[in-house]
Amino acid sequence: MLFHEIYGSYFNAVATVLAEAAEGTLTGRKMTAIVQKAAFGESLLSIPAALKEQRWPLLESDFSTPLRHVPTMPLTNLQLQWLKALLQDPRIRLFAPDETGLEEVEPLYAPDAFVFFDRYADGDPFTDAHYIACFRIILQVLREKRKIRVRYRGQRETERCYDCVPYRLEYSSKDDKFRLIASRRGSTLTVKVSRILSVTLLEPYTAEELRPAERREDFLILELTDERNALERVMLHFSDLEKETEKLDERHYRVTLRYRREDETEILIRILSFGPVLKVLEPVTLVEQIRKRLARQRCLLGSENAAEQ
Amino acid sequence: MAYSELIKNFEKIRGYMREFYVYGFKSREEYDRKSSRSYDNERRRIESWLGEYMSFRQNAGGKTVFLTVDNRGVSHNPLYKAFKAKSFTDNDITLHFYLLDLLSGDEELSIREIMDRISRDYLSHFAYGEELDESTIRKKLKEYEQLGLLERAKDGRELIYRRKNSGVDLESWREAISFFAEADPLGVVGSTLLDKLDGQETHFSYKHHYLLHALDSEILCELLLAIRERRSVTLTSFVGRQNEERENTVFPLRIHISTQTGRQYLLALQTQMKRPLFFRLDNIRRVKAGPVEPRAEEYRELAKAFSGKLWGVSTASLEPEHLEMTIRVGEKEGYIRNRLEREKRCGRVEQPDPHMLRFTADVYDTMEMLPWIRSFIGRIVRLECSNKAVEQRFREDLETMQGLYGGADDAVS
Repeated sequence: MLFHEIYGSYFNAVATVLAEAAEGTLTGRKMTAIVQKAAFGESLLSIPAALKEQRWPLLESDFSTPLRHVPTMPLTNLQLQWLKALLQDPRIRLFAPDETGLEEVEPLYAPDAFVFFDRYADGDPFTDAHYIACFRIILQVLREKRKIRVRYRGQRETERCYDCVPYRLEYSSKDDKFRLIASRRGSTLTVKVSRILSVTLLEPYTAEELRPAERREDFLILELTDERNALERVMLHFSDLEKETEKLDERHYRVTLRYRREDETEILIRILSFGPVLKVLEPVTLVEQIRKRLARQRCLLGSENAAEQ
Repeated sequence: MAYSELIKNFEKIRGYMREFYVYGFKSREEYDRKSSRSYDNERRRIESWLGEYMSFRQNAGGKTVFLTVDNRGVSHNPLYKAFKAKSFTDNDITLHFYLLDLLSGDEELSIREIMDRISRDYLSHFAYGEELDESTIRKKLKEYEQLGLLERAKDGRELIYRRKNSGVDLESWREAISFFAEADPLGVVGSTLLDKLDGQETHFSYKHHYLLHALDSEILCELLLAIRERRSVTLTSFVGRQNEERENTVFPLRIHISTQTGRQYLLALQTQMKRPLFFRLDNIRRVKAGPVEPRAEEYRELAKAFSGKLWGVSTASLEPEHLEMTIRVGEKEGYIRNRLEREKRCGRVEQPDPHMLRFTADVYDTMEMLPWIRSFIGRIVRLECSNKAVEQRFREDLETMQGLYGGADDAVS
């Protein structure tokens, strides 16, 4: 069972409090800090009181505990079965975890239990030895906070080579691809891991050098007409972006989306896919792009009709 | 009952979180299906768990509450927190720490020994520590055995309990768990594992990342177990249009997931009619596992044969429809062919001449392809479909869009 208190924030917070108590280092202030970090906004009203009032007889008034060990919990069947299922995923090779302890465990699901029906077909080669090697080096430099020299094939197949400060690996489930996000001379460098030819470890970077470029973001304002269940479809489709929705009347809504400027073409395509139930109000540049595409489309279908006649 | 930020039942909060996260324009008065007090309590809980993602807006219709997250900027799905808010009794939490402490290391104890040790080693330290009765302890031991935390063995005529330690080196899994806690459909399990690891610095972020599926994790988990065990299931689902609950007994086959909306669907077989059906997981309220299905393999083969002509998740027709789309490409626009090749889910792409690409497919419901087809607006030279309603819808939508954006004959550049 997934929805169970043993996985809960309260149990985790109390375990951390008791670990400090078992070590003899717990204070009232520490308890407050632990609860604030491990539990919820209002947990400070309940967890310390329950322990101090000994409704949960786990902590004595001098902040010691009768427990003999620092609290630990074995992995549950569900957790073990989930880990075993991951071993069937080709992406697990990127990490090579120690499989010991899972030999007799039944996986939670079979590899074909999921179908990602609209995932793009040109995903990364997760089982390719060169790809795995590059991925692991990137992970190592991220762990060790080191600079990197990356040589890769650019968009027009031209070879490029830069020294940069990596700050994360970004994965897209739709593209089934990893991208290295790094900073280079104050701007962001994005490189598809599958296009990397070589990666070289360089020296550790300083906090000064890790300065991610500011994100270039824009707002998009849409008017939504709720036909053919458009409200739900649009709301779900764009729920990967920060958004705000305002009801204008029974059928119309104003949706404000925040998106990154480098994704503008992709956003345009996503909006077009909804047809007439979405109208872009702002930015004007996007409105113009849609106008042009529609005009081009009218010409194309117009010439086809003329040819048929 | 006094308010608590913890919950006993997940179903009610699931509905509110979905409303706040997906829509977020309803005022308190519009939550008419529930009482105002219930609304206030649920809103307060969600604020307690996810305060940093909650926003408010005041307008003529009243105050609206909504959840907003920049999914690309978060490393861990904040909606998982709802699964970590299960309520419990004082005995539950006390016994949890006592039992796991008593059975630490290689300790093996009988129920009698466990009871004695709880009194002697723990409760004796507290002036008001109440004795725990045997049935409470027995019940908890059984529960923990089922969860996999403890195991029991016979020692002569007596049952003894010990911790069930797997020997898994969780530290070696740290980065894999960090990634799959977001990338796997049942990533919430990974999130519970991350809670066990100190420090949660992650090196991953996610694009096109949908968070809402997290709320359906319990349903997904039960369906996966039934699929694994080849059991039929009785689903209680909410049918939005009729605004009612409905029961279906089906054989579950697979989970179909959209990476472009985050929606999850169960593909199941209605065994009497041998008809494949899709159920949206967010509409499923309860899953009740039934008996093991003796014809499971036969049903799985049927599903495989059926899946080849699916575009999305529509089973409106089981007779394939034919569609052909021809699009124009420029000389340096090889990326358009790449787009067609990677985005088509079935069918084929041909190049009849250097400036044209033709995509052909046979699928059950061509109407489902329209959103994708519209994404090529500006390039479509010809669209032909055996379902004439698709052609008509495409042309009508195009006309409406041209009306919306004001024509622009002069906009072609």
